[in-house]
Amino acid sequence: MAGALGALAWAAVSLVLRAVGLPVPDMVEPVGAVAFPAGEPWLRWLVGLALHLAVGAVWGLVYAYFVFSLLPLPPVLQGVVFAMGPLLLALFVLRPQLRLMLAAGVEAGLLVRPALSRQAEGLGVPAALLAGHLLWGAVLGALYTRPTGFPAHRPPRLPAPPLPRPDIATAPEPPPPQDRFMFATGIECSYPTIAQGSWRMDQMQSCGHYRHWRQDLALVRELGLRHLRYGPPLHLMFRGPGQYDWAFIDAVAAEMRRLGIVPIMDLCHFGLPDWLGNFQNPELAPALAEFAGAFARRYPWVKLYTPVNEMYVCTKLSALEGLWNEQRRDETSFVTAVRHVAKAAVLMAQAIRAVRPDAIFINSESGEFFQPCCPDPEVQRIAAFENERRFLPLDLLYAHPVSQTMRAHLRAHGMPDEEYAWFMNQGEVHNRAILGVDYYVWNEKLIDTSGRAQTLGELFGWYVVAQQYYERYRRPLMHTETNHQDAREAPRWLWRQWHNVQLLRQAGVPIVGFTWNSLTDQVDWDAGLSVPRGNINPVGLYDLNRDPRLVGQAYRHLVRVFEPALAQDPTLEQVLARAAAGRMVHAPDAAAPDAGTRPTIAVGGA
Amino acid sequence: MLTMVSAHGLDPGPTQRPLTAGLLAGLAAALPALAILDSFAWFETLAALFGTSPRTATLLCAAGCSLSGAVYALALGRGANDPLGGWLFGLAGGFFLWMLVPLPLLHWLPAWSGTGRPLLVGRPAVGLLLAALAWGGALGALFPPIHRALRAGIDTEPTGRASLGPEAAAMPKLARTHDKPEGPPA
Repeated sequence: MAGALGALAWAAVSLVLRAVGLPVPDMVEPVGAVAFPAGEPWLRWLVGLALHLAVGAVWGLVYAYFVFSLLPLPPVLQGVVFAMGPLLLALFVLRPQLRLMLAAGVEAGLLVRPALSRQAEGLGVPAALLAGHLLWGAVLGALYTRPTGFPAHRPPRLPAPPLPRPDIATAPEPPPPQDRFMFATGIECSYPTIAQGSWRMDQMQSCGHYRHWRQDLALVRELGLRHLRYGPPLHLMFRGPGQYDWAFIDAVAAEMRRLGIVPIMDLCHFGLPDWLGNFQNPELAPALAEFAGAFARRYPWVKLYTPVNEMYVCTKLSALEGLWNEQRRDETSFVTAVRHVAKAAVLMAQAIRAVRPDAIFINSESGEFFQPCCPDPEVQRIAAFENERRFLPLDLLYAHPVSQTMRAHLRAHGMPDEEYAWFMNQGEVHNRAILGVDYYVWNEKLIDTSGRAQTLGELFGWYVVAQQYYERYRRPLMHTETNHQDAREAPRWLWRQWHNVQLLRQAGVPIVGFTWNSLTDQVDWDAGLSVPRGNINPVGLYDLNRDPRLVGQAYRHLVRVFEPALAQDPTLEQVLARAAAGRMVHAPDAAAPDAGTRPTIAVGGA
Repeated sequence: MLTMVSAHGLDPGPTQRPLTAGLLAGLAAALPALAILDSFAWFETLAALFGTSPRTATLLCAAGCSLSGAVYALALGRGANDPLGGWLFGLAGGFFLWMLVPLPLLHWLPAWSGTGRPLLVGRPAVGLLLAALAWGGALGALFPPIHRALRAGIDTEPTGRASLGPEAAAMPKLARTHDKPEGPPA
């Protein structure tokens, strides 16, 4: 569209300049004369305009698809630089070619004035081509700036698909008899805002889930999976206090039930509805609790919830690194966001349990680690502080006392003692909680000699990092997210993550699930959703056309190989009961044929 | 180009058959293009120029379209299989094909080689452009459904690729030259 509009601007300016008497060559009519050498001038001009717009659109497509995200220039300048490519082709390929084509009309006497002829044009046509391309590139660059997302204050209406009619719906597939080990994937659903809250990055929109949701759910079952991390679009559903738009999720939930999919409902994923503002808003905790309660009442069959996803990442990128939502970069804003988000998670869990007392909360958090590079005391201090900061939201959620250093930090940045005491008294929250530890290749960081954090890659791995989280909270664990940006390396990463899970289980840690995130490729996560470039990240089990990727096949293979052995695992209720009783050593059911005589998980072959 | 392609997640997945789909879609898309070329007396002109028959020229053109379809599929990867935007990619592909192959072969090379005027002038030259655009649009529109019909099932073992099983975690390239896989203990 931007390419066609750029071409339209070119034609319009050219028309106006000729109308006021300037000797500007017409670049449109000769193109129409190629198709209709015998046509009336107005017809040739209209046909020429259509072809001119089509060529502009084609070049716009090339710009959008291959170039836009790679040129690091301001938008207008970027468009102008790109326009030099089409200009060269126009000068040295198209223009001479048009001349050859028009030769037919001239020879037949249909074209009185041979447009673009050498005699007629002189330097006028090259100059006009240069000016036209500059204008086209400037318009293209100025218009094509945000290929993904939408204005936050003008959100689109969610589709309202009709609910399946009971009389034509096929028999629902039975859900698993009991929740045991969960092989899961997720629908990527992040929805933070950028540009000071004015632009919404909505992954469900970018990845096509709103259009392909039914197919996406079918693909989950095609993979042999039953558990799905799913984040209803809070920003589009929760339209104000007491105002909900359930239509889309009604249809999705009905299809999930029909397919026998067990959702892990992720109620707040890196963003808030526009009317709630951002994570500095003290009203967000009661508001999200209201939403969570309403959600639980609407879908009473849903048992597994993630109240707030990756609280550490959410607050850090919003209030400390300045990328999302409030886009602040100071410690007080970070502490404020953590207080609000952790309180929201507590109140949401309470609201859900008021409706469904047996609900289970899978608190997914990014598994992070900071390694000091050297014995420098300042570097050691920074690493130690960051290694405690990574736990802060979970500490408040799970009522785990923080160190004196962190307590002083919280107090210095606005957290009253009474509020801290309130968090430490919410002991019942974690009785029904499973700790999700996510892990990506960038999660481990080196604190360098200047005190900055640099990505290390996989240094110690999920085994070590997850064990640190487990030792701190003694909750059952789940590997709730992983993927790899290189589609060819993804199967290797999948299996290595899985081997980490196996080893930690054999060490006695109760791990109840594994997740490859996400079902489809994602968009713009290579820039942390901070810039709407439209870059596709090939991390999915399926690509955005919903064709399987290699890792999709590998995950299906993995599930087939290991699911039979894991069927002997204790149920989630048994795991939670053991955790509550303080018996955290993981063991298969007593009824299992060789219980106690072998490692928890037998490593089987294909 | 490779960076651009990889930046957009264009690697075709293991169940895709881009070459075959491209060959077939390119051939199918040749039908409207051949009709346009024929109506512009293109084959007669070409046959007269090279001293061959119009039928031979037609067959060569169809083969060229088919091969170009395979190149298009390889170059665009996942984009070629986009059900919504495929036709636009195809149109762009036809446009670039026109600039990169027949123009140099039929117009510029003869002119530059000193043999005189370009081979195709006037109506046949117009027909060539329209045919290339028609071929591209049809190719882009036809590729996704043809590809879907050819696509292998998710359980199909990929050929020529690394294992999908647990051994995928291994990194054989890191092995020392004297390391050999060990058998199970006796």
